[in-house]
Amino acid sequence: MGWRVGVDVGGSFTDFAALDETSGRLVTLKVFSRPDAPGAEIEAGLAQLAQRHGVEATAVDYFTHGTTVGINTVIQRNGVRLALLTTAGFEDVLEMARLKIPEIHNLYSTRPAPLVPRDRVFGIQGRLRADGSEHLPVDRASVEAALAGARAAGAEAIVVALMHAWRSDLHEKQVEAILAELAPGVPVFRSGAIWPIIREYERSITACISGYVQPRVAHYLDRFAATLSGLGVPAAPRITKSNGGVMGIAQAKAECVQMVLSGTASGVIGAGFIARECGFPRLLTLDIGGTSADLAVLQQGEAEYGTGEIIGDFQIFIPSVSVTSIGQGGGSIAWVDALGVLKVGPRSAGSTPGPACYGKGGQEPTVTDAAAVCGLIGHSALGYDAVRLDLDAARAAVGGIAGKLGCSIEEAAASILDLSVSAMYADASGLISRFGLDARDFQMLAFGGAGPMLACFLARELNLAGVVVPPTPGVLSALGGLVADLKSDFIRTIYAPLAEASLPLLQDSLVAMRHEAIAWLVDDQKFDGAPRLSLSAELRYQGQSFEVDTSLQEDWIVQGDLAALRAAFDAQHQKLYGHADDGAPVQVVTLRLAIAGATPKPALPRLAAATTAAGPAAEVDTYLDGAWQKVPLYQRQTLLAGHAFASPAIIAQPDCTTCIPGGFTLAVDDHGNLLITPAAR
Amino acid sequence: MPIDRRSLQILANHCGAAADAMAFTLMRTAHSTFVKETEDFSCTLLTAEGQAFASPRRFGAPWYSGIDYGPMIALIADYEDGDICICNDPYSGNVATHTPDLHIWKPVFREGQLVCFVAGHIHNTDIGGAVPASLSRTLTEIEQEGIRVPPLKLFSRGRMNDDVLRILRLNVRAPEQNWGDLKAQIASVNVGERKIQEIIGRFGLQTFRDGIAAMLDYAEAQARAAIRQIPNGEYFFADFADEDGEGGVPCRVALTLRVADDSVELDYTGSDPQVAASLNMPLGGRERHPLVHVGLTYVLFTLDPTMLLNAGTLRAARAVLPEGSVVNCTAPAAVGMRSLTCMLTQIVTFGAFSLAMPGRLPATSPGGNSIMNVRTAGADGRPVMASIGPVGGGGGGTPFADGPNGAGGAQAFLKNTPIEISEAEVPVLFNRYGLWPDSAGPGQQRGGLSAVMEFQVFAPGTVVTARNRNRSVFASWGVLGGRAGATSRFLRNPGTPQELSQGNTDIMRCGPGDVVRVVGAGAGGYGDPFTRDPALVAEDVRCGFVSQAAAEADYGVVLRDGAVHRPATTALRGARPTPANQDHFDIGRARRDFEKTWSPARYALLTAFLSAQPVDWRHYLKHRFFAAVAAGEAAELGLEGQMRRIGARLSNSAELTRR
Repeated sequence: MGWRVGVDVGGSFTDFAALDETSGRLVTLKVFSRPDAPGAEIEAGLAQLAQRHGVEATAVDYFTHGTTVGINTVIQRNGVRLALLTTAGFEDVLEMARLKIPEIHNLYSTRPAPLVPRDRVFGIQGRLRADGSEHLPVDRASVEAALAGARAAGAEAIVVALMHAWRSDLHEKQVEAILAELAPGVPVFRSGAIWPIIREYERSITACISGYVQPRVAHYLDRFAATLSGLGVPAAPRITKSNGGVMGIAQAKAECVQMVLSGTASGVIGAGFIARECGFPRLLTLDIGGTSADLAVLQQGEAEYGTGEIIGDFQIFIPSVSVTSIGQGGGSIAWVDALGVLKVGPRSAGSTPGPACYGKGGQEPTVTDAAAVCGLIGHSALGYDAVRLDLDAARAAVGGIAGKLGCSIEEAAASILDLSVSAMYADASGLISRFGLDARDFQMLAFGGAGPMLACFLARELNLAGVVVPPTPGVLSALGGLVADLKSDFIRTIYAPLAEASLPLLQDSLVAMRHEAIAWLVDDQKFDGAPRLSLSAELRYQGQSFEVDTSLQEDWIVQGDLAALRAAFDAQHQKLYGHADDGAPVQVVTLRLAIAGATPKPALPRLAAATTAAGPAAEVDTYLDGAWQKVPLYQRQTLLAGHAFASPAIIAQPDCTTCIPGGFTLAVDDHGNLLITPAAR
Repeated sequence: MPIDRRSLQILANHCGAAADAMAFTLMRTAHSTFVKETEDFSCTLLTAEGQAFASPRRFGAPWYSGIDYGPMIALIADYEDGDICICNDPYSGNVATHTPDLHIWKPVFREGQLVCFVAGHIHNTDIGGAVPASLSRTLTEIEQEGIRVPPLKLFSRGRMNDDVLRILRLNVRAPEQNWGDLKAQIASVNVGERKIQEIIGRFGLQTFRDGIAAMLDYAEAQARAAIRQIPNGEYFFADFADEDGEGGVPCRVALTLRVADDSVELDYTGSDPQVAASLNMPLGGRERHPLVHVGLTYVLFTLDPTMLLNAGTLRAARAVLPEGSVVNCTAPAAVGMRSLTCMLTQIVTFGAFSLAMPGRLPATSPGGNSIMNVRTAGADGRPVMASIGPVGGGGGGTPFADGPNGAGGAQAFLKNTPIEISEAEVPVLFNRYGLWPDSAGPGQQRGGLSAVMEFQVFAPGTVVTARNRNRSVFASWGVLGGRAGATSRFLRNPGTPQELSQGNTDIMRCGPGDVVRVVGAGAGGYGDPFTRDPALVAEDVRCGFVSQAAAEADYGVVLRDGAVHRPATTALRGARPTPANQDHFDIGRARRDFEKTWSPARYALLTAFLSAQPVDWRHYLKHRFFAAVAAGEAAELGLEGQMRRIGARLSNSAELTRR
């Protein structure tokens, strides 16, 4: 028995979570990221783990990593030079996308440039019909011409996405074989192999993103693995997946599409673990960084899953932990428009130059500056002594706004905070409406550098049940990787009526997927426990343009109990949309099988029980709810289980500050979570 | 907290969130594809007087941000808490503008007072009437366009009036779908009401009321600030629909834009009389009707994309809408396809504003996006009917970028239908779906290319319709040296000896093996194409967007092995005579030819004549006029003499007939 370690490399900090497999003990720590010398932060972190907690590198037998390298490659558009081979006649599939233009009122609005420009897209002669039968065979000469064109255009890898590859991969495989023969060294990605969904644009862009990020991701992962083995870590690293599971590094390199959202998913999975361990049935997670705020929904510790998650300018259509990103963060810039009306964002000072009060060259007033002016932050060093706030710089920056608005600096600062919170409210409220949730049943789990600073204000607007701030909000992503199960999704697009005649297809698909799934978990991932299989289908009433994900029992398909399947769909439709149409014919669009192998989970550390009342370290001046007031400041490490008091209060800790305006009560639970509840409830 | 410049955007965020919540509820619970895919719906927060003060920020049809329910609200005598009202009659308050748009509205009460309304509509796939889906250009009377519900209470103090529903259900083709959509609408206004109550709870009743007024004032001030950038003056532009009905003559929409400091007047005098087809806009002569200000809304938002859009935006504008004209028809004119004419009003608005501020606005997108439908049969003989998506043009070239391809400008909001879905649902086989080369109007910044869709059908009696089709004759214009885009086409068996072109007709009958090709119209270009960066022309050729021949002819760029040949290009560009056409617009050859006869001067005379005739005679008399001019009647008298003579003859015969 040894140690299991999870690491999350962020822009500023790298977080570690380590689990002692023998005792179940969990330890965490944080070091500076080293963009200048990648790998150095891993070395530093492992050294500290050894020194402080006795975690020897050689004793680490399981290592997980969540990374943003995939999504950043798409956002920064610095992936591989791809060529795309489509069915002839459909070469404009990326150029046209789904037609709709982002800003419908703006005559200048346009779609983003396609990931593969049109002069690197080549048509292949050959055609399958929707039922998978062959209309025209693949014309070898057209493949040769496409390859010649791709080479002439300097393509380094080729994506093959042919019509109806969701139904049959016959043609894509034939093209792949010809390419392998003619150009053995060139990486080829097939849309039907990557994620065989119906809808040609969605399948093609998913395949292109996977191919686009592959070399960069593979290079990154190779270097990461080399760093670990150089440090004597015997475990092969595993990578967190967009679906909230983990996979081995060889698979991560081959199926990059699975890890594009690795970083964001990790945080939500960490939050889900906290939710299950500490008993928070319904959570809205709030992760506020410099430029954006990420929101996710967790019910009974389970994340919502979606397809169509946003990756830079595009969407990706594989099952992913659903995260809604809002263009408001600690670095969002406040400004006054030509008519004198106050605005915040969408421009952001980001981490460079950052807020004015960070003293790194930022001049413009940001949300963080407003918080500093109001005395909500800045009472101790932030980010493990990385930043000492320059209050004068914050006041000077916000002062410009105050001058334009004709009010005091603190009034301007308070308005900036209110406005930023109202913008977050608008998007969070949309998320709640979209999923049809009742906000009053939800608590907000706040993490990220600025999450705990603003969570209470946002929760108040949303009328939530309360706010939870975990003991080390910065380390949730690293923890997420550590606790993630081995997990993989398998899909078959069926696109057939829910009827007896479709049963053989459903049964064959299930058998094949089951086989693939078990092979993945047992053979590839070397898992020796009991696999957990969950079957679902995307179903719809005939003629609907969207599908409803419905959980199924394998028996229904094995024994041909279509009535049970039908009833499950009607019930799910009723639950989601408030109505069901039990007379209408139903169509099976996809069948999906998820397999998971449970990994050992840490026991969350328990905090010592308080024997005396909580004592504030100081009283600080804050501008809250329209007036300056003296507010007690607590140091987080002095708060013990059972401590409770009424707000207002400020709670400082090295990686964030929690601000609680009046009207809340706070209690510390056994695990050290701050439970903040509206006093009226 | 009083609403001031510090807090205005906070209230606006909350109101926007309330409208979003209504839209999410609608999208989540509605039945029809119109809601889920094409987002043809609206959700609106209205003042107690019916003025829109907030709409969803990213969803729904983009035409209704400035809507005014006032005239329809006034048709219900009194409101009580728990009421929900309903209406789809275009001639009752002119809020619903064709019968499939079923509007509902609900009063919000607080402390016993009516504070505001929440409202919205869904375009129902079918509302009954003469044809499936209720819309056809061929219809001539509103009575053919489906069941009409006058303004009445669907819910009275929270109790539903089942009778309304029973009548409605009996008169439509797919009642379950209508009912499903209506339930979604009811859920949506109920969510809207709850959200308003929350906002009032947070801000206080008086603050909320003051805040609504401030939001309208703010939108007005933003609109006026944008208008102040536009030079004062009078700007005229007209454009044409290819036909005013089956086998008809062109249909003209004319606009005189008057800019005076911080306000604008959009005078539609000179637009054609209402037509005996369903292209008419039922606007009740209301000078701030949102449908006649869609183009203006686009222009203002393009000038200032931070703008809050609500009814305040339109306070700076008024429209002059001649009664009995195609932009202000009288009952019982059919109105189902008013969107085609509405697009023309947008296009003439873009033209007039382009004259006013050439450097700030793009050339036009074509309008007339064909909504393709196929009715055919499967191998087993079962009938199949399905929409297979829009086929249209791109966005116009802008002062600094090419227009987007396939969609853009004022037709940016529709999604397409995946080919794989269409083939799985409908027994047709697509040869092609993509962009049509050389369709874009050339320019320093070219227009967007149009889309092409080509497919084969396999059953006898197959009918393909291309609803809303236009621009098969008159091209979408370019500006400042930029050229007009290519026109649209609707062909059967293209490239074969049996090729058949449908002209402007929107219906095609086919048999087994027939191939149908529909090509959208290209968007106009911006600026002289001979000044376009040759490297961009070479890229367009590499991408297959522009042919090598067009690169030389339209852009003066010579390519050798795909690369720009500098000396030959310089020589070719230098050899071009000074362009003959120094006009602001390139309107394309068809329209130049048409206007040789039907010049603005002739139209002025025609308009003067027709406006003196009874409304129900005008369309007929217009056609007689066209026939007479085409026959050369009294041509020897010169323009004015000829028009006077024909007019005299026609009005005499009209007098006689009426007696």
